[in-house]
Amino acid sequence: MEDHVTVASPPALPSTGAATVHPVAARARRPRRTRAERLSPLIIAFILVPLLVESLTVFWPAIQGFYISLTNWNGVNPPTFAGLANYTKMVSDPVFRKALGDTAIWLGIFGGLSAAGGLGCALFLQRERRGIAVYRIALFLPVVFSLTATALMWQTLYQPNGMVNGLLSAAGLGSLQHAWLANSSTALYAQILPALWREIGYIMVLYLAGLKGIDPTLYEAARVDGASAWQQFRNVTLPQLRSVNAVVLSVIIIDSLRSFDVVWALTQGGPYNSSQLLSTYMYQTAFVNTNYGYGCALAVAIFVLAFGVIVTYLIRAFKESD
Amino acid sequence: MSDFTLSRRRLFAGAGALGASAVLGGCATATPSGGSAQQGGAVTLQSDLSSPLAEKAMQALVAAYGKQSKYTVKLNTVAATTYQPLLPTYLTSANPPDIYTWYAGSDADHYAARGLLLNVSDVWKTMGGYQPALKTLSTDTAGKQIFVPTDYYWWGVFYRKSQFAKWGLSEPKTWSDFLHVCKAIKAKGVIPIGLGAGTGTAWVASAWFDYFDIRLNGADFHRALLAGQHSFTDPRVVSVFNTWKQVLPYFDPNGTAVSWQEASNQLLQGQVGMLLTGTFFADAVPKGSLGDLDFFKFPVIDPSVPDAEEAPTDGLFASSRTHNAAAVLDFMTWMATPAAQNLWTQTSSGTVIPANPQAASPQTPLVEKGKAMLAAADQLTQFFNRDSTDALQNTANTALINFIQKPAQLSSILSTWQTQAEQVWKTT
Repeated sequence: MEDHVTVASPPALPSTGAATVHPVAARARRPRRTRAERLSPLIIAFILVPLLVESLTVFWPAIQGFYISLTNWNGVNPPTFAGLANYTKMVSDPVFRKALGDTAIWLGIFGGLSAAGGLGCALFLQRERRGIAVYRIALFLPVVFSLTATALMWQTLYQPNGMVNGLLSAAGLGSLQHAWLANSSTALYAQILPALWREIGYIMVLYLAGLKGIDPTLYEAARVDGASAWQQFRNVTLPQLRSVNAVVLSVIIIDSLRSFDVVWALTQGGPYNSSQLLSTYMYQTAFVNTNYGYGCALAVAIFVLAFGVIVTYLIRAFKESD
Repeated sequence: MSDFTLSRRRLFAGAGALGASAVLGGCATATPSGGSAQQGGAVTLQSDLSSPLAEKAMQALVAAYGKQSKYTVKLNTVAATTYQPLLPTYLTSANPPDIYTWYAGSDADHYAARGLLLNVSDVWKTMGGYQPALKTLSTDTAGKQIFVPTDYYWWGVFYRKSQFAKWGLSEPKTWSDFLHVCKAIKAKGVIPIGLGAGTGTAWVASAWFDYFDIRLNGADFHRALLAGQHSFTDPRVVSVFNTWKQVLPYFDPNGTAVSWQEASNQLLQGQVGMLLTGTFFADAVPKGSLGDLDFFKFPVIDPSVPDAEEAPTDGLFASSRTHNAAAVLDFMTWMATPAAQNLWTQTSSGTVIPANPQAASPQTPLVEKGKAMLAAADQLTQFFNRDSTDALQNTANTALINFIQKPAQLSSILSTWQTQAEQVWKTT
């Protein structure tokens, strides 16, 4: 049972060259040699070079971003140190609170539906049948397209005289017609749809891979025990997908918090902030209003949220599997 | 497994130490001081005119300049959407591009106040024939010229002559005339006023705000309001919105859902009667339809208020850290000549007016009328964002779209606007 649970666990560390060439001889000659001394320069280079690249391109800018979040800086004047003022400002900023709420709604609806939809599609399309690949490709195709480009297509669909309203009136539901993206009560939800359209295909592929990794003998055993289809799903499939779930959850949270392209292309967070997400608010603050200090503080808030949720989940998941 | 996590932890500890040992506040926010002594070489012209037509026009200009000058100018075109957020970075970098396309007004003054812009008063010595209003516009608070205008355009209420003739309407001059025209068009079953403040073009709504404000309260109050000297909750601002409410029923109900490109199509197709817009919309109009278009000046509401018009002016400014000031000034002097500005208006859309009065403006009745309207105006304003900042424009978009959709919530909209605007004034 245990080995099936760790479908996606990292591969075992390859043993180091120096340690494996003459392990017996080495141990015989210098029995008290420490582990660090046995690392070859090549291995150290393999660790240090990526670390250096990573430090220069990721860690250093991230630390800079954190520093900027502690300043007032508009990109022109020299920055002045502001302490935590940018963070305390968030508490009383109604747009931030709106963006936080919208992001929570986005995370709930977009995250929940893409996980459920992705799993549903994967279950439906996992069995090998004739032509099944066509359906898989059809569902995966939106992942390949640029969302900014396809957003333009969605924009046309949502226009006041666009296809969505056209279909509604053709179906006799003319009273439901809206200016979907311009109406403050529908703008956010209208944009979750294009995001879902893309995400479900991606989550489906993750789940398909997970389903492929389940030992078929488990289902055989379950059937022999007389388990129904639902019981097989509940007691075999779901527990077996636990490690994939960790990946899916991380992907969904990260994708929700960085959902930006659709919203920026369709409404830019409008009308009057009704579809403002943390990501769009951060971009607007930093790059349109050139208030880099507050923009960086928002970015730090997004990072803490994403990192906090994911780390909490991973720690719990690993504790359970140990 | 435990060995693995241990070594990972060590790695993280190492990375943390690396970060901690580094001095915070390093390169990202550093503002370099002083330029280098290097002289000569080509100067860079940073341009945000990235539409194919405009880029070609700029290339032609730079080539024409190169033929008659000992200096070389290198054109670097940047997409307009990227240009705006990057402009502060360009100007504050240690080795900035030399010349920039941008607009006159509050934004240029903002950079000049920080010593980032080159003094171009010498160029202005060659520009004697220019309108005094343009010189004032190109002068910073310290009294020196920092901007060279190349062209400007105007805003007006555009309509189709054939439609107005069919409806038996003539151009309204006063506010009550205008209300009468709106009523008459609505009676014909056509939407009287198009807007086009949908996604990405919400800013067009502020043209209405600008005009109501300069017609009711005057250009001086308008500029002071945008600079933060008055509050958006001021009774004079409330009167702007109360006047606006009188025409709101005549606005396209989908005005905040469609973009201005679509709104101008609606005008051309006769789906809306009138559209308050800048002349840039004519770029996309098929040549055949242009002849049917005409405009009238935004109606006068209070005759006692001095007349003002929106006349957004485009042009060039230069970095004070340029390595080759002689070449920069030479190029800008050339750009102010009739020859260069003729080249510009010939190759671009044809609805802009060259800033040099000796340059030949496009000889169309539309341009003649626009030019005359601006010449008769007592004062010229730029546009909401040009008279303030792009950050303040954002707060306006939020407030105005909210007002157009929910006019009953005016007082809460205005107090929110004031709070948001205060944040902007505090950071700039």
